[in-house]
Amino acid sequence: MRDILLVARNHVVTAVREKITLFWFLIFPVFLLVVLSLIFGQIGQEGEISFQIALANADQASNAPFSAIIEAAFDEVAELPASGREPLFQLRKPGKGSDVNAFIEAQLTAVRRGRLAALIVLPHGLGEAIQRNLMTRSSTQASLDAPGVEIHFSEGNAASDMSVSIIDQILSGIDREILAQGGAYDRDAAIPQYKAWVGTMSEEAPYVDFLLPGIVIMGFFMNGLFGIPGAILFSRDQLVLRRYWVTPLTVPRFLAGISVGHLVLCVVQFALVYSVGRFALGASVSFANVETALVLLLAAATFMAFGFLIAAVSKTANSGMAIANILNMPMMFLSGLFFPIAGLPFVIRLIVFVNPVSYLADRLRASLDVSVAAYPALVAVLVPAGWVLLSAAIAAWRLRWDVGR
Amino acid sequence: MRAFAALLKSETVIFLRDKAAFFFTFLFPLIFILIFGFVMGDVDEPTARLGFVRASAVAEPALRDILEDSGVDSVRDYDSERAMRDAVLGREIDFGVVWDGNALEFHYSPSRMQENFAFEQMANGITDAFNLEAQNVEPVLPILYVHAGTEASTRWFNQMVPGIIAFSILASGLFAVSGHLTAMKERRTLDRLIVTPMPPVALLAATAVVRLVIVYLSTLITLGISVLVFQLSFSVDWTAYTFLVICSTVGMMGLGTVIALLVRKPSSAGNVANVLAMIMMFLSGIYFPIEFMPRFLRAISLALPLRHLAEAMRFATGVDDMATLRFWIIVGCFLALGLALFPVLARYVVRPQRN
Amino acid sequence: MARETLMRVTDLVKHYGNVRAVDGISFAVADAAVFTLLGPNGAGKTTTLEILEGIREPDDGTIEVFGQRLRRVDRATKERFGVLLQEGNFEPYLRCREVLTLFASFFKNSRSPKEMLERVALTEKANTFVKNLSGGQKQRLAIAAALVNDPELVFLDEPTTGLDPQARRNVWSVVSELKSTGVAIILTTHYMEEAEALSDHVCIMDHGRLIAEGSPRELTAQLGQETIIEFAADGATDEDLAPLSACCKGVRRGSELIAVGTTDLVKTMEALLDWSKTKRNALANMTVRQPNLEDVFLSLTGRRLRE
Repeated sequence: MRDILLVARNHVVTAVREKITLFWFLIFPVFLLVVLSLIFGQIGQEGEISFQIALANADQASNAPFSAIIEAAFDEVAELPASGREPLFQLRKPGKGSDVNAFIEAQLTAVRRGRLAALIVLPHGLGEAIQRNLMTRSSTQASLDAPGVEIHFSEGNAASDMSVSIIDQILSGIDREILAQGGAYDRDAAIPQYKAWVGTMSEEAPYVDFLLPGIVIMGFFMNGLFGIPGAILFSRDQLVLRRYWVTPLTVPRFLAGISVGHLVLCVVQFALVYSVGRFALGASVSFANVETALVLLLAAATFMAFGFLIAAVSKTANSGMAIANILNMPMMFLSGLFFPIAGLPFVIRLIVFVNPVSYLADRLRASLDVSVAAYPALVAVLVPAGWVLLSAAIAAWRLRWDVGR
Repeated sequence: MRAFAALLKSETVIFLRDKAAFFFTFLFPLIFILIFGFVMGDVDEPTARLGFVRASAVAEPALRDILEDSGVDSVRDYDSERAMRDAVLGREIDFGVVWDGNALEFHYSPSRMQENFAFEQMANGITDAFNLEAQNVEPVLPILYVHAGTEASTRWFNQMVPGIIAFSILASGLFAVSGHLTAMKERRTLDRLIVTPMPPVALLAATAVVRLVIVYLSTLITLGISVLVFQLSFSVDWTAYTFLVICSTVGMMGLGTVIALLVRKPSSAGNVANVLAMIMMFLSGIYFPIEFMPRFLRAISLALPLRHLAEAMRFATGVDDMATLRFWIIVGCFLALGLALFPVLARYVVRPQRN
Repeated sequence: MARETLMRVTDLVKHYGNVRAVDGISFAVADAAVFTLLGPNGAGKTTTLEILEGIREPDDGTIEVFGQRLRRVDRATKERFGVLLQEGNFEPYLRCREVLTLFASFFKNSRSPKEMLERVALTEKANTFVKNLSGGQKQRLAIAAALVNDPELVFLDEPTTGLDPQARRNVWSVVSELKSTGVAIILTTHYMEEAEALSDHVCIMDHGRLIAEGSPRELTAQLGQETIIEFAADGATDEDLAPLSACCKGVRRGSELIAVGTTDLVKTMEALLDWSKTKRNALANMTVRQPNLEDVFLSLTGRRLRE
């Protein structure tokens, strides 16, 4: 027993003493957690993002006031200070007396190059067109010949797409305002709209609640897939394991020691990642229930087993790391951990079906009440457990203290 | 010249045998594209399936039409609110709406945070249209949407491929120095070469050429697969593309030189390079849009070579637009970085390894 | 005091393809003695040892250890062995005492790390990381690890190769001390001085075969020579040397040195002086010494131990 515990202790101690291992197992998951929550946590949060848009009013000579109204509405949105935060839009407009067409050309280039989220052009004749619509109670289709509010944007650019939908909203509001002013629309008779949430969560949880379980799993994944083969294979390459060969220590006992050490590292990593998520980023999801603890344990064991498998089939550290890198991507991305997977070719679905990460991530999220489980509980346990047994058996049978060189 | 030719051969063999290096330079982009292509390639627009519960006995045929026209992919009817909410939880539909004769209530799943923004926009559109319909009014504002960029730039995956290619170029050049040459230094094989009449320049040139050729091949294959398997579209400016690949590989070797000089132990240089490459990968706008990063992250992103390399690659493959001058400045900067550090690298190679 | 035989090897064979690395060797190792396998690189010493240590499978032959026939070296036997491999390392980021604590835990009985460090004079390096040790210090640590379980039979595979003279002497004193405690030691080396200084029994190996066996004194006595005179060859040919064979027991010409063996030193010296005048050989760098194992090997194979 002492030998197993000492192997475990040395595994942990070496991981901490080697700076690069320390980085990958502690610092990197935290880095990822922080960066991703900063990036994706912003979406939909007002006051957090600001879009650069431009507006060119080529209809200033119009008798109808509408183009001016539209322009004023956007001026107002751009000025809205939200207590020290940036306004939703930062609005660019042509300077007084400058050439509007040159401005439009320049801004179009900016949109095309991703420097500007959207360009709104109010073309000559727009005011008249709106006036006509108002008076005849009809709507016209805007086209390149018929004047309409032109929104030039870059489809596929995330910021552009999002700002366009917001601009759309603002224009709808202006539309109703114009109708209301013209007596055609009764604002008081507007149908109210409400928002409700399904599931047990009463309000929209912060993005980090969704992200945190994923990062925890990813951390365990990296420990298992890279940390374990790294430790074993580099030790073997350096002829360290060879010295154990001539002692009574057996391969299964050695692997048992590595397992215990790995679990300790996972616990430390979880504690750090969770603390950062909870105290620095405001995660509210609670891991304090039995099912979650069991899923995490199963996850740590599954990835460790994969690590053993890689170590057992690789001859050198170099090839082992290459295998780990090759497995890394399909296992992480074809699992539903980061992206939903639906409507995929058969081969891909097969990989997802066989991939234990799919079940572990799903089960973890379900146990945290972040989403509903897609797979039945029994399958979610059997597939990873199956991998654990298979890998442990292969490793115990095939792992050599030294390979012929 | 003979030395160069011999080194070329040995460097090729060594590289092909170094499975990790081969993977990152050659296989990584291919595997990545294949996986992402299958998972994400078909999904250009996120799906929006709406569930509809009519809790009022009053028939509102117009509402159904409005729902269908609102931009959702499908509308499914449910008998009860309960059934619809279960369907949302179970991901059979993406969000739901209940019309009780007075108000529209939209139901969302809290776990789909990023996607809910888009659904809410659709919901707003539905309510607006319904309001106008209810008062028998037509919208007066004609609106025209014009896409300003290339057709290729509309597909997110089309944008990603040049970014992945850029990353493999970065890895190739970076690890050539901080990885390969530093390992040679650590293992003293470099010392053994230096005491021969072999000019260090020959070794550096051989290292660069091998990696250049392999990364160029890899990027071509990646582009080919993207087009053949996933029907992506590129319009490659081959001159610009070739100059970019060559100059940025050289520039990234320069970056690798900086790392090798700053890090005390040669064996750590590879690790540091690995870490830097990883960090750059996340902050360069290849996987996540830069526009949504907080200001300080966006500032950091501007300082990363990979960011500019990715944008230049998008330009060279015809996916995104960029000022031509800016493109050539980027290419020039990479080349300058590599060439400026070349004599430094040559000195590093020659300097005996002290322990 | 009759010495117990701890290990007996009979007709051990190991081949790799056509090459017979171990070609049918037999020997016995007694209690409280240093048994040495001496031979040049490639003689099959390490292969033999690795078979006995249990990390290589023999193709033929029997091994008896601690009174039992062994098919394979099992856990119980490993408990009683102490092994220093020719090639091997420790975890670079462990401290010396942590390494010994680890190895101690593999065995049912073991000594404290502190004691072991003292024994190999590494006490002040107890908290030093393995990666910061010198070659000699690493070797001493490896010896400590090999002895941590108080073994009855110790294998030392090339224990001083690559060490500087001071480090080598340190190791020799550890081995002597070990022998005095009654432990049986199997040593391999290609250093003749090491075999002479430490061994009770030497087996000379070449190309997988045992070509001579006995105590160092017995082996050199086999040469039948009492004294060896060596001097610089200075271009002398076999023809030049012909007259010398009348006055001595054996003449060997190497590229650099000529070695003349004799049982009558004075007569041979006189003959040599005469010869040197006739053949104009200056007898430069002359040494007069006792025969050693190198000479034994040379006489048996025509080659030197160290090529």
